[in-house]
Amino acid sequence: MVWGTIIAAYLFLAGLSAGAFLTSSYAARKYPDAKTVRIVGRLISPIFMGIGLLLLIVDAEAGLKDPLRFIYLFTNFSSVMTIGTYFISFFMMAAAYIALMELLKKDTNKIVEYVGIVFAVATAIYTGFLIGVIGAVPLWNTAILPILFVVSAFSTGIAGTMIGSAILDKKVIHQVMSIKKIHLTLLISEIFLIFTMFLITSSTNESAAQSVSLLLSGEYSTLFWIGLIVIGLMVPISIEALELWNSSKFHQSQAGIEVAASGFQGITSTLITESAVLAGGFILRYLLLAAAVPVIFL
Amino acid sequence: MARYGMVIDTRKCVGCYACRVSCQMQNELPVEESYIKFYEKETGVFPNVKNEIIPVQCQHCEDAPCVSVCPTKATYTTKEGIVLVDSDKCIGCKYCMVACHYGARTQDHNTGVVEKCRFCAELVAEGKQPACVSTCISNARIFGDLDDPNSEVSKAIIKMNAQPLRPDLGKAKIYYVR
Repeated sequence: MVWGTIIAAYLFLAGLSAGAFLTSSYAARKYPDAKTVRIVGRLISPIFMGIGLLLLIVDAEAGLKDPLRFIYLFTNFSSVMTIGTYFISFFMMAAAYIALMELLKKDTNKIVEYVGIVFAVATAIYTGFLIGVIGAVPLWNTAILPILFVVSAFSTGIAGTMIGSAILDKKVIHQVMSIKKIHLTLLISEIFLIFTMFLITSSTNESAAQSVSLLLSGEYSTLFWIGLIVIGLMVPISIEALELWNSSKFHQSQAGIEVAASGFQGITSTLITESAVLAGGFILRYLLLAAAVPVIFL
Repeated sequence: MARYGMVIDTRKCVGCYACRVSCQMQNELPVEESYIKFYEKETGVFPNVKNEIIPVQCQHCEDAPCVSVCPTKATYTTKEGIVLVDSDKCIGCKYCMVACHYGARTQDHNTGVVEKCRFCAELVAEGKQPACVSTCISNARIFGDLDDPNSEVSKAIIKMNAQPLRPDLGKAKIYYVR
């Protein structure tokens, strides 16, 4: 693995950060009362992006030893990494500003927030393009990968935001049912995208077929089936679906929310679901990097 | 302006590693690091089998993916078509290593810089041959100007119908006789 666990963690954190930003912006509009969700999303977004960037710096040995070289990252416009550097810079500035305003309890500048939304999406997509443009690795070199990464980014962003919100405010997570619906849709799409990607790329290319068999039945099959499919996707899909099924039985009222929050489930199901989604999000990226079989050139 | 390229005749290569050792000496590489990798490939069905030893190094692609993905412009192609790494600009992100079709790049773990075969640019500038070429015991390697039809390398390519390893993966400047 040329790119290993550190890069997988970075890709995961960048996606999580972008997703959390989008979640908070959505919550701010749809649920003005669910302040905790908005605040948590806005605060964790720049924090996780920052951690991700630190990981990148640690992984880039030559730059770490001579940090001024990182300036050159802005120079080659034919490189997705350079374009990503711009996206992240703008996203980071917007996210940090919004988080700061939230801490100072001031109103945010709408334009900055819209810029943040645009560059959050761009950041999530770019992590997919970054490895998607690599012709040498057919598993990555598919149009589905960036879409999969965006879906997964938004899904992990929701998960991170919901965990933080659940811990801070029991009630609020029972208030934001449409976020749970979006989340369920994303998770189901993710399964569909993963299998579409595997099925199509593995039938067009020998190296991709090897990668896919490494994942489905080879070295990484346990992590793939148990870690990604069962824990990362099936468990959260099941719990989330049950929660939505139950919540549809009673009208959304303040009393109902109180009951749900104080009920036996409380926040446990949320914590389990969302931790599973986060684990799945990291495992997805780790597996894609680990199972990267390059083109056989001989 | 010359456009440098190389022919490697795998029918002549005996796998003695002399090219690799001279390359390591020329580039002051430690024992475990090298810019030339050796692959063995068996083809055919018994009893008509052929065993090839194929030395692989940077193919100096004309449309090199490493050059286009490098975010810092540390990797570049010279006017003579040699792909080089500016070790003062490389941040060690390893994007080029991921993008290279031939797995031809290695990271120097003292500096963190990614390096690879440079066609011994400093020797070539003096009018000499790259170290791997001048040291090859069986003359399996020929180096020279691809644009000059009278150069030894151009003649050899035509005479022996030398082909890049994988023409579909880009315009490589190392041609193999297999």
